[in-house]
This record gives sequence, C-alpha cells and structure tokens, in this order.
Amino acid sequence: MLRKIIRKPRAAEWAYIVARVRVMKRKLIPKDEYNKLLNMDLNEIIRYLEESEYKNEINELAIRYSGVELLDYALYLNLTRTYRKLVRISKGLPREMIVDYLRKWDFWNLKNIIRGKMFGFPKEEIEKTLVPAGEFDEEFWKMLLARESVEDIIKEFAKKPYYPILEELARACPISEFEDRLDKFYYTSLASIHSDNIDIMYFVDFIRMEIDIKNVKTLLRLKLEGASPEEIAAKIIPKGYQLSESELRKLAAMDYEDMLKNLENYWFSEAVKQIKDQPLSKIEVFFDKVWAKRVLSRANHFPLSILPVLAFILMKKIEVDNLRIIARGKAEGMSAEEIKEQLVVV
Amino acid sequence: MVEVQPTRMELIKLKRRIQMAKRGHALLKMKRDGLIMEFRTILEDAKAVIEEMIKKYEVAREKLALAMAVDGAIAVKSIALACHAEPKFTMKRKNIMGVVVPVIKREKVRRSVYERDYGIIGTSARLDEAVSAYEELVDAILEVAELETTLKRLIEEIERTKRRVNALEYKVIPEMEEAAKFISFKLEEMDRENIIRLKKIKTKKAKEQQ
Repeated sequence: MLRKIIRKPRAAEWAYIVARVRVMKRKLIPKDEYNKLLNMDLNEIIRYLEESEYKNEINELAIRYSGVELLDYALYLNLTRTYRKLVRISKGLPREMIVDYLRKWDFWNLKNIIRGKMFGFPKEEIEKTLVPAGEFDEEFWKMLLARESVEDIIKEFAKKPYYPILEELARACPISEFEDRLDKFYYTSLASIHSDNIDIMYFVDFIRMEIDIKNVKTLLRLKLEGASPEEIAAKIIPKGYQLSESELRKLAAMDYEDMLKNLENYWFSEAVKQIKDQPLSKIEVFFDKVWAKRVLSRANHFPLSILPVLAFILMKKIEVDNLRIIARGKAEGMSAEEIKEQLVVV
Repeated sequence: MVEVQPTRMELIKLKRRIQMAKRGHALLKMKRDGLIMEFRTILEDAKAVIEEMIKKYEVAREKLALAMAVDGAIAVKSIALACHAEPKFTMKRKNIMGVVVPVIKREKVRRSVYERDYGIIGTSARLDEAVSAYEELVDAILEVAELETTLKRLIEEIERTKRRVNALEYKVIPEMEEAAKFISFKLEEMDRENIIRLKKIKTKKAKEQQ
C-alpha cells in the first residue's frame, strides 16, 4: 500500500508518466465530436468507433456480441486495457498511486462475484460483470469464480487489510452493508494517508474530493427517499475534503430545502445551484460535471504531479460513459436532448 | 318426449318439479344479472389497474434504458445479481354470489433504497430509479393478476349460469310442462274411457235385468 512508500519520487518519474499520459489524452474524443455523434444512428456510431481507439476491441468482440451489447463490452475492454497500460508504463510512487486508485475495480469485481455466488447466479453471468482494471488480472478473477463457496473466495484475501470486512460477511453481515463497508474502506484507507510529501498530498486531496462527491450524492439520494438522519449517517464515508462527517450529520438532520441552501457553501456549489426540481438522475450528472471540471483545472495547475494522470483516468471513464450513453440512448429511442442531458462534456 | 307414467301421482310430482324449476330459473336469472353487474364493476377497476400497469411498464423501460445507457449494462447486470427475492403473497378466498374468487394478500415488493441488497455508495440514483420502477411494476402486475383471475372466474360462472338458465327456460321447463300436459291429457282420456266403460256396464246390467 501507498503508506509504506517513504522515499520522494524523482522529478523524472513524473515527467515520464505525465508525458505518456499527455499523448494518451490526445487520443480521447474531442468534445466537439459528441455533437456529431449525437446526429448519427447506432450503425454510424459503431463505424465511427471502428476507426478510432476502440477498433481492436470492437473487432475482437464482434464474434461474440453485436449492436449495443458489442459496444458496451468493447468500451469496457478498452477502458480496462487503457488502465492496465497506465500501470504498465508507470513505476515508483506514480505506479503505487495509480494501482491504489484503480483498486476500486478490484472491489467492484469482488462485490459482483460475492453477490453472484451468494444468490446462486451462473458463472457466465457473473463473468460478464467483471472489469479487471485493478490490481488483479482476469485470470485471478476467473480462478476466484471457479471457487465453490463464498467462504473459499474470502480465504483468497486473507492477507489483505480488508479481510476482516470479508470475514464478517461470512458471519452473516447483510450484503448491502458489506458492500458499503468495502467502499468505505477503499476511500478511507486512501484518504487517511498522512504524508508531508506534496505529491501524496495532491493524491489524498483528490480522493477526499471524490469522497465529497460520493457523500453529497448519497445524502441527496437518501434524503429524497425519506431516510432518517441515522440511516444516512451510516452510509457516509468519513474524511471528505470540505464535508466532514459531523457536517454531513447536521445536513442529514435538516429538511431538504435548508440542506440544499447549506450545500451551496461548498466547492461543488455550481452543481447544487442547478438542482431545483430536477430528478436525481440529472442531479448526479451536475455533480459529475463539476467534479470533472475541478479535476481538470487542478491537473492544469499542477502539471508535474499525479493529478494529470488521475484526470486522464477520470476523463477516459467519462469518455466511455458518454459513448455508451449516446449509443444506448440512440438504440432505446431517446431524443438527442435527453441524451445530451446525461453527457458529461467538459 | 319424456317417458313418464301417466299417473296422478306422477302429475303431482311433475307439477311440483315445474314449480321448483321455475323458481330456480328466476333465481338463476337474478344470479346471472347480479354476476354481470359485478363483472362490469370489476371490469372498470381492472381497466384502470391495467392502464396503470402499462404506464408503469413504460416508465420502468425508460428508467432501465437510462440506467443501461449511463451506468452500462455491466453495472445493471451487477445490480441484478443482488436481486434474489421473489414476490411473496398469500391467497385468500372471497365469495361473490357463490363464486369463489381469489384475494391476493401480497407483501409490497417496493422497498426503500437502504433496504435493498446492494450497497448505496457504489451505485447510482439511476439504478435506484430503475429498480424502484420495476418493483412498482411487479406490484402492479400482482394487482392485475388478482383482478384478472376474479374476472375469469366470474366469466366462467356467468357462462355456467347462463347455460343453466337457458336449459331451464328452453328445455327442462317446456319438456316437463309438455309431460304434465301429456299426463293430464292421458288422465282425462282414462277418465273418459272409464266413464264410457261404466256407462256400458250399466247399460249391459240394465239389459240383463230386463
């Protein structure tokens, strides 16, 4: 884990990874292209992507899938390969940070496997949900899928710091609570790193800002669902950037209008101001946009740091999401306006 | 033509049966009309519930499409792995004019976000909206199933009652009336024959005495 690294990274390490990322970033689809894509039909979109970075993945998966499904899996495969490439080309502290951040996909896979095994879903169904973009590769997850019981799967993680959470699941902890605890562990373990190293501080701040976004989304979701302040407090991730746990508890106890007014005092106020009477699905997009904007601007301010790499990781995910929204939206007959509302273009 | 013994006893029995059949016919007619009225009332309710179900289906489809688009099929499939509970319901019975119809006592499928079998932090509001829309749809389907079964049972009973009414009206009662008429005729005939026979015997006896 990151906290073990005490040496300072050499400037050359940052220069190298940032230069590589800058080249990779140039291959991202420019924001003007989305307007063109919005006017295309599904086949045209697939053809467009066949001439882009996604060519190999589309050709590779075309034997097994077709139409929107093909795009879905091709986009995720490309995302996985891009993230693995980032890990491959980086070394030292930058690599540690990238691996630590991408570990969220390990938790994603682990949750899916446990969920699927617990409720008796076939192996093939569970395998379709895996995105091996984290520390463990596809082979590891397949090996895990072959295990008979949840207990056998949990044993594989005996040396990991989150093993106690998994062990508790085996002792009949509700699955939803287990998943939230795993997500909390992921964020808090990264946000708790104490270091005087400025590079690590940038990384920790990034994580803490992501925690803020996650927390505010949870707060709004549960508030609109009519959850009690205690129920909301149980789902809060500690160690946010501006939103502390106690502040969130106070916000959870307020009525919806007062809570929104108070939320305008934080760094994501731009998103809060747009909330009025909008459905939650749109509100989450406002926060995603503000988050992406903030990450990009910080990455521009600190070009020789982990931030440009993290910004690329985020932008790549946003690109994959945007392409899928357009393709799926077109396939489901959504209007261009509806699709546009869900896009995160920054 | 019904084969009957042309006896007075038989005629009395037949008349009693005709009377009873007519009373039964009137009652069945009333039952049929009552069932039709009940059917119409439930049909109106069913129409409204079915319309509501169709609307909910449309909404659920839209929400699922949005979740599939924004969060991806993989995320939706992943959430689906957490859905294992089947809707629970108990069947009770209700009597509508002698027709036993089912009453489904169901547990609400719709659950709040924090009661579901997936974590909140790692999922999105779009997934919640899609799950909620489908939970509401399942609730609506169960309601429609209850009303549809009731309607089916009522239709079957209306048909059965209608057949009985028609059978009584056009077959059983007319046949019995014809049989009664036949017996009366036969009895009158027998009376007439007896009178003539007696008269003849009387005349014969009178002739012998002379």
